[in-house]
Amino acid sequence: MSKKKERKVKIKNGKVKKRIKISRIIVLVLVGCLVAFCAFPLIALICRAFMPLDELYVFPPRIFVRRPTLQNYKDLLTSLSSSTVPFSRYIFNSLWVTVVTVFCTIIVCSMGAYGMVKHKPIGAALIFTIVVAALGFSGHVTKIPSYMIVSGVGLMDSYAALIVPSVATAYNFFLMKQFCEQLPDSLLEAARIDGAKEMRIFWTIVMPLLKPAWSTLCVLTFISSWNDSFSPLVYIHSDAMKTLPLAIQTISGGAGVVARSGTPAAAALLTTAPTIIIYLIMKGQVLQTMAYSGIKS
Amino acid sequence: MAENQKATTKAKEPKAKKTRKPMKIKTRRSLEGLMFVTPWLIGAAVFFVFPLLTSIRLSFSELTSMKGFQMKWNGIDNYKYLFERSTTYIPNFLTEVKDTLIDTPITLVFSLIIAMLVNRDIKGRGFFRTVFFLPVLLGTGYVMEVLLSSEMNGVISIPSGLLQAIGASFAELVTGFLSRITTVLWKSGVQIILFLAGLQGISASLYEASRVDGATEWENFWKITLPLVSPIILLNFVYTMIDSFTDSGNAIMSDIEHCFNNGALARGASMGWFYFAFTFIVCIVVLAVMSRLTFNQGER
Repeated sequence: MSKKKERKVKIKNGKVKKRIKISRIIVLVLVGCLVAFCAFPLIALICRAFMPLDELYVFPPRIFVRRPTLQNYKDLLTSLSSSTVPFSRYIFNSLWVTVVTVFCTIIVCSMGAYGMVKHKPIGAALIFTIVVAALGFSGHVTKIPSYMIVSGVGLMDSYAALIVPSVATAYNFFLMKQFCEQLPDSLLEAARIDGAKEMRIFWTIVMPLLKPAWSTLCVLTFISSWNDSFSPLVYIHSDAMKTLPLAIQTISGGAGVVARSGTPAAAALLTTAPTIIIYLIMKGQVLQTMAYSGIKS
Repeated sequence: MAENQKATTKAKEPKAKKTRKPMKIKTRRSLEGLMFVTPWLIGAAVFFVFPLLTSIRLSFSELTSMKGFQMKWNGIDNYKYLFERSTTYIPNFLTEVKDTLIDTPITLVFSLIIAMLVNRDIKGRGFFRTVFFLPVLLGTGYVMEVLLSSEMNGVISIPSGLLQAIGASFAELVTGFLSRITTVLWKSGVQIILFLAGLQGISASLYEASRVDGATEWENFWKITLPLVSPIILLNFVYTMIDSFTDSGNAIMSDIEHCFNNGALARGASMGWFYFAFTFIVCIVVLAVMSRLTFNQGER
């Protein structure tokens, strides 16, 4: 893939050299403007998270911070920890739930997609149709019946309640399916002839080949699971089991907190950090694979 | 999406014919496949298909007891309520539809332009791509809500000196426009990536040939780029629309959430179903109309 790209770029380079440089500058300026538009709210948010109270209410509103302070974070921590549960507990809850969800999703969806695409069990076509139709539904509609099931099984107020229902989602399955279709049959066939068992083929051939796909899945699932405040709202009652987004939502909705408008920004920045870290780890793979999904079908 | 489905099954048929083997191996493969799929199937059946069916039933009934979730069939009463007595549902519904109809084309045009810009051989392509993807990373949860809240919009405004110079009403227009663009940009990360992939799929020889024939860049765009990228326009159209309809910051979504929080489960379910039925119909109409307009690469 990268080789192909390089070749294309080279051809283009040859083309461009003849042209005047002005057009290139115009393009750069345009893209620069758009980048500024894109990045601006983020910069504003970061600055706001470190703004002292008096600067927050200056008119006209300021974008860049003059005297950075950590006061917003202190406020956030005190208002979060005011209940009987320490703040670190929320972080642990969130991390644990997210990591397990991501892990399970990757395995279940990869296995399912591989089996479905490469083995074509009975009813595969029907299942694909259901999956495609399901892409359009939001989780909100099915939340309450899921609640019934979770409470019926007796999982309420546990980590499992947050993890199990979100493992087998249609979108993730669809994504993996698109990638599995690109796996060469001959490779699998060769492994079978060499006497490899199905499980072994899956773990030693399929999974390494699908690495770009599941790293994308990893990032996407991580983002959605980490930011999910709706499922804990439905499944969790006790304070000690709340996840970070829910805890933050609870305090930022409180009457006393509205006055401190720096805290939401601080909280937002805090919740963002892990997603950025996970993206940076997986970065090389993701942009490449995002480009592949959905189109080559 | 339905088109996708068709395309994949079509592509598979000849393959299946080629590798036809004795029945025994085929059934064995099928069984092995089932073994792999089972975990996902169970999960999807329990936490997706069953809840979906239940919520349809729920939307047509009345919840008599929370314990054991007993329902009583009451026909279309819940839906009647939405239209006849609810004061917020219909207005919110119309606002959402309007917003989606405005935002979707803007998003598409913007992301196509950006993808084309980034697709050129400018310095730091990788950096730009990451920046445009960044919103996807940050913007799904709480952060997005904070960023798009009115408070932050106060920050995204024009300096007051400029404001006096151009007059208040015009300034308002400009601010509205700017904040809308920011919102759109923040929501078009995935679309940009998909367009990029599509643009890279167009072979350079086509442009080469047309340049030899003396076509301008402008003509190239309309005669080569646009037709060849049209399947992805369709894909992005559907994606954007569904994304906008099911956005968590959406008024209808918060209405539904509100209903659920207050125990009005049946009403919430009917709200959701009416809304999604509408989304679905819109998608199907769009698919039907657009799939005629798109250029199919396979026919080349």
